[in-house]
Amino acid sequence: MTITIVSFSTKKTGASHATMLVPIFTLKLNHKINPRMVTVGKFDGVHPCLTAATQAGKVFIHNPHGRGQRVASHRLSQSAQDSDITLLNINQAVSCLTSGKLGPSTTGDSLLVGSQTNLLAYDVHDNSDIFYREVSDGANAIVLGKLGDISAPLAIIGGNCALQGFDYEGNDQFWTVTGDNVRSLVLCDFTGDGKNELLVGSEDFDIRVFKEDELVSEMSENETVTSLCHMHGSRFGYALANGTVGVYDRTARYWRIKSKNHAMSIHAFDLNADGVVELITGWSNGKIDARSDRTGEVIFKDNFSSSVAGVVEGDYRMDGQVQLICTSVEGEVRGYLPASKEMKGNLMDTSVEQDLIRELSQRRQNLLLELRNYEENAKASAGAPVTEGDTQMGVIPANTQLQTALSVKGATESQKAHIELNISTPNETIIRAVLIFAEGIFEGESHVVHPSAQNLSGCVRVPIIPPKDIPVDLHIKAFVGGKNSTQFHVFEITRQLPRFSMYDLNVDPAAALPTGRVTFNVNDRPQRVVMWLNQNFLLPEGTDTPDVCFTSLRQGGLLSISMQSNGEITLKTDDIDLAGDLVQSLASFLAIDDLQVEADFPAYFEEVRVTLTEVDEFHSVHQKLTAAMADHSNHIRNMLVQAEDARLMGEMVTMKKRYIELYDLNRDLINEYKIRSNNHNALLNCLKSVNQAIQRAGRLRVGKPKNQVITACRDAIKSNNVNALFKVMRAGTASS
Amino acid sequence: MELNLNRVDYMQVGVTSQKTMRLLPAIGRKATQKVAVADQDGVITCFGMKKGEAVPVFKTLPGQKITRLDLGGALGTPQEKIFVAAGSEVRGYTKKGKQFLSFEANLAESIKAMYVSGADLFVCASYIYNHYCDCKDQDYYLSGDKINDIVCLPAEGPVRIVPVLACQDRVLRVLQGSELNYEVEVSGPPSVLELNSKDGGSGTREVLYGTADGKLGLVKINETSSDQRWELDNEKKKGGILCIDTFDILGDGVREILVGRDDGTVEVYGLDSSSEPTLRFEHVLSESVTSIQGGCVGKENYDEVLTATYTGWVTGLTTEPQQEEAGPGEEMKMSQETQNKVAALRAELEQLQLKVLQEREKYQQTSQSSTALSAVPVFSVNDKLTLCQDDASYSLTLEVQTAIDNLLLQSDVPIDLLDVDKNSAVVSFSECDSEQPNGNFLLATYRCQANTTRLELKVRSIEGQYGTLQAYITPRLQPKTCQVRQYQIKPLSLHQRTHSIDQDRPMNTLTLIGQFSLAEIHSWVVFCLPEVPEKTPAGETVTFYFQNTFLGTQLETTYSKGEGNFKSDNISTISILKDVLSKEATKRKINLNISYDINEESVSHTLKMIHPKLEYQLLLAKKVQLIDALKELQVHEGNADFLIPEYRSILDESTHLLEEYKKQPAHLERLYGMITDLFIDKFKFKGQNVKTKVSMLLEILDNYDLNSLMNFFNEA
Repeated sequence: MTITIVSFSTKKTGASHATMLVPIFTLKLNHKINPRMVTVGKFDGVHPCLTAATQAGKVFIHNPHGRGQRVASHRLSQSAQDSDITLLNINQAVSCLTSGKLGPSTTGDSLLVGSQTNLLAYDVHDNSDIFYREVSDGANAIVLGKLGDISAPLAIIGGNCALQGFDYEGNDQFWTVTGDNVRSLVLCDFTGDGKNELLVGSEDFDIRVFKEDELVSEMSENETVTSLCHMHGSRFGYALANGTVGVYDRTARYWRIKSKNHAMSIHAFDLNADGVVELITGWSNGKIDARSDRTGEVIFKDNFSSSVAGVVEGDYRMDGQVQLICTSVEGEVRGYLPASKEMKGNLMDTSVEQDLIRELSQRRQNLLLELRNYEENAKASAGAPVTEGDTQMGVIPANTQLQTALSVKGATESQKAHIELNISTPNETIIRAVLIFAEGIFEGESHVVHPSAQNLSGCVRVPIIPPKDIPVDLHIKAFVGGKNSTQFHVFEITRQLPRFSMYDLNVDPAAALPTGRVTFNVNDRPQRVVMWLNQNFLLPEGTDTPDVCFTSLRQGGLLSISMQSNGEITLKTDDIDLAGDLVQSLASFLAIDDLQVEADFPAYFEEVRVTLTEVDEFHSVHQKLTAAMADHSNHIRNMLVQAEDARLMGEMVTMKKRYIELYDLNRDLINEYKIRSNNHNALLNCLKSVNQAIQRAGRLRVGKPKNQVITACRDAIKSNNVNALFKVMRAGTASS
Repeated sequence: MELNLNRVDYMQVGVTSQKTMRLLPAIGRKATQKVAVADQDGVITCFGMKKGEAVPVFKTLPGQKITRLDLGGALGTPQEKIFVAAGSEVRGYTKKGKQFLSFEANLAESIKAMYVSGADLFVCASYIYNHYCDCKDQDYYLSGDKINDIVCLPAEGPVRIVPVLACQDRVLRVLQGSELNYEVEVSGPPSVLELNSKDGGSGTREVLYGTADGKLGLVKINETSSDQRWELDNEKKKGGILCIDTFDILGDGVREILVGRDDGTVEVYGLDSSSEPTLRFEHVLSESVTSIQGGCVGKENYDEVLTATYTGWVTGLTTEPQQEEAGPGEEMKMSQETQNKVAALRAELEQLQLKVLQEREKYQQTSQSSTALSAVPVFSVNDKLTLCQDDASYSLTLEVQTAIDNLLLQSDVPIDLLDVDKNSAVVSFSECDSEQPNGNFLLATYRCQANTTRLELKVRSIEGQYGTLQAYITPRLQPKTCQVRQYQIKPLSLHQRTHSIDQDRPMNTLTLIGQFSLAEIHSWVVFCLPEVPEKTPAGETVTFYFQNTFLGTQLETTYSKGEGNFKSDNISTISILKDVLSKEATKRKINLNISYDINEESVSHTLKMIHPKLEYQLLLAKKVQLIDALKELQVHEGNADFLIPEYRSILDESTHLLEEYKKQPAHLERLYGMITDLFIDKFKFKGQNVKTKVSMLLEILDNYDLNSLMNFFNEA
């Protein structure tokens, strides 16, 4: 296999397609590439190697420059098909991989490969393990680099609700928990203090920023955050599982776009050589596009025949120029050089002039059409009485205005508890359909109500059940016209759904009071808390006291909020997540930086206690099973030898018997494996809920007390001191 | 020779209909030609290009929607008179824009197609053909199905001028006076006709046709019969053909065929030495290409392909090379011409913007008034729902003059929405409780990317389930309005008209006898089956043939006043017809006597027809399942030599296999569904309910074998 160098032409005459960026090399590697598991490393310190995870728990290393130097031994083996490719046996499904400088004295980059149970740091050049660590929370994402004030570079992995950083000796230098399973990580100087922060994208749709183990910012998105990449300064790109990509600057979103395809990989690269990186996105349909970091405008695109696996960069031709390297899941690799000056940043195969004129003409046409609309409208409204044709056209009284109202509805026999959006017209016009576009509360991005022809009226009630407590903008489009219209007026209205809208002021007096509670003190007037209540709850008449009691429409329990004259606030609920959300929301409303809280959630704490004992049980079962398996494999070896002996001796009956036994044993082994894997999954779930418990305890506090709780909880777990753990969760500190 | 054409936009007019743009012949030695284009606002615009700018020659006032534009003139002189058809009127203009003719054809409907030759004028409304000479009635013909286009072969010696009609029922009708001379069967509904060589084809007498499903063909029209020269399949599933022209764009002395399609594709086909067409050039515009012609407009000595698109863009694909870019290091320079053009456009925009703002305010003010009405004019939507033969699914295309903001798709019948690669809009499915009184089975919104004027969707229906699919289209235009379009999903939605059927197959028959008129039973057939003309056909007995595009089974319908016969080799087809027809008759309180004659053999025959498809799909699924594992083994062992040949061939063909598999999503499930229907229907006619045995049937299908399946059908 050689690199096909395609001459990079900027023909300027004759052919019309001259000014287009073309790949400078293309490769067809005969190996599949797992999405998002691609890196370029200089393992000998000189030659860049494209390295990616492939099928069957293997990692391949493509080294076109240093040929025939390596010998196959230890984990490495030479690919039989291709002399440039070396295969690295991991023997486990790889879940993430990266490369870079880890140790202080190594010549080249280290390769880091994560799986659901282990993290391997590997020296490819020396063909030896740097360290091999068991990671019980798994490694879904990995990043290598410096974090905060920690002097050594760390390999940071994100797993099930946990973050863990290892130095080159495999020492655990950094650990914290986060809200949900981590799916993406990036290091960048978010705060602009000259030190790196860790950005974490997770399955609960949040991007969290950690300054070492302190959570400094949290941005809520509306889908699992699958990729993050650093652009420049405090700017970073992100991708979501629903096909969204975009760019943030600190906590403010600059732009985003959504596609029906999924963004597989994002990377920052200055493709048009204007000194600013663009966001390069590789899509599931094989498309690659480069978008301006400021506007999201596409400045370049190309297509692969299969889904893109990863986008990386490197000086792959070793001529001093860094290329953008894109790979597809089928193993196709293309490298692009940044545009030369002559192209003046114009990488697309179109004429700018033509496009400009076309765009202006299109705008003119649109304005003319709008004008015609007004003219015809003036004619029609000045004109004759309403005829049959008019009702088809959807003529409505000009003063038609749409009324919307939000209200909380408790559960009835036929319907679950919900928030009702009532949309109505004031006259005889009807609402043909209502479209609501909103993020994060519907299965897709929209919800449609389309009454059947006989149920048409001027009023539509839309039940909404937001699955989480998040503030949502409802973009409502209502089609208003007559019963037989074929054309309708579209009314567009935006309404905001407050964060805690699924809470009803109607309280069943017989309902039991919640046992869980949090107490804390604020230095603020009660009126401010009243304001917060009115803004964040759906209160049709508003409230003028900070002492309120709600029924939670999701779980049905009670939520009571009360404030004493000394500023002590007590929240009572059995839902620890809700308590955390309330504390965070109130603290940010009152601009509180540090808040210590006393908490008690007896029911939940008991659950955690049970989980902790389960963890111990699963651990011991795991050990037993491992031992049993070792026994069985010895057994198999013996049996196989016996069976083969019998075959060689021609004792077919014995051989058959042995093989039948072997078959049975094999079946047992498979069954045992199933048990083992069930046990392992159960263990993972338990560990996840332990991590979640710590995260929840943290979320009840704000600022420094929050980090103290998390650190103290971890120490308690490390020292296996369950009572101390609950003490920390309650009081917020381990001491006193 | 490689053909390289560069796109140049000339100007934009209103929305255009099919075949409404022509180039006037060049005058004298001045080599550039003028363009005449007519739009749906009723405006004819005639312009020429001067230094890159469109200079109008004349422009008429708005009026009724213009459906066709043709050129004419006394035979033997330059054809430079402009004729347009609007409503039921034909108007004639000189090349200077002076109107010299206004002829009311006195048709009940508006004119759909027109052809002009010397003093002869041919016009077609939906079903009616009329020939006038010097505006006097000559001939008249009533076609069996809708007429889409017309061309005439010129008179030659004793042979009179020969009109050829393109009719929706997949035939070209060749007329002689007021009589049908003969019919030419083509494989899809022909949408456009063009003479192979415009000068009358001195003796070749060949007609090019394009079909709504994207096929292109050439037939020779002889005196009493026709010869099919060639037909190109539409393998790449491009759009339907809207316009054709012949022009020597390569400059090699042979005319190439220029084709415009409704998905925006422009193609140039060259003819090789054996006169077989080969694709030489392709360009995709973003919207329907309604007219196409070769000529020279932009610059002398540079030939080009001129197109008009649905939203009224007149665009050239010219042989003139694009201007050289500025040298390295220099700022990009726009030519002076372009700069002027841009400046003028910007100035105009600014003024318009102001005016729009004023009007917008006025409009807002009316909302204070309690008597004023708000009426926004209807915008034009170009839509088409077509059944694709090869994957038995419907393709719905929607095109609007301005960018589409969003689309709501609603259906009261269970259908599947399939993903279309070309469609970049973000789709979102909304929950619909079908048990609720609203009866929605599908609610989906499409949020479109900026500048999307055309959307393509794919929908899969199930035979026997019928209802309405509705599309609500909202363009990005103030004041915001949306328009609803309705499409009937018919009970036998996967059937397609054919010209003949195989009479040797074992057939089941359904007979209806009762007090109904021909019009009544025709309306039921229209209700049940696609591609049947709405108009009741002439004659006492009507016969139509259909084919099931998915299974290849057939249906023959023959009916007259008081009696209807439906013959099919597929028992499910008969069962669906029986259910729907009896329901319809009950609704209209007509007493029907329904009898049927079931041929037991037909069931095994249908199973045998399904067998190869099912076997292929099962094998494909099995092979595809193995690919990943085999690849892994290959990587592990370093090569595939140790594998048995069968597995090695799977590895070799893996790309192809995966492609095939991707092409036919849910194919197996659909086949299973149809076999299950067949099973239930077979016993329904015997008066037995076998729904409880369906699970056993599915078990047999899981371990499929034709014989055991047939046994099960026979024994159950």
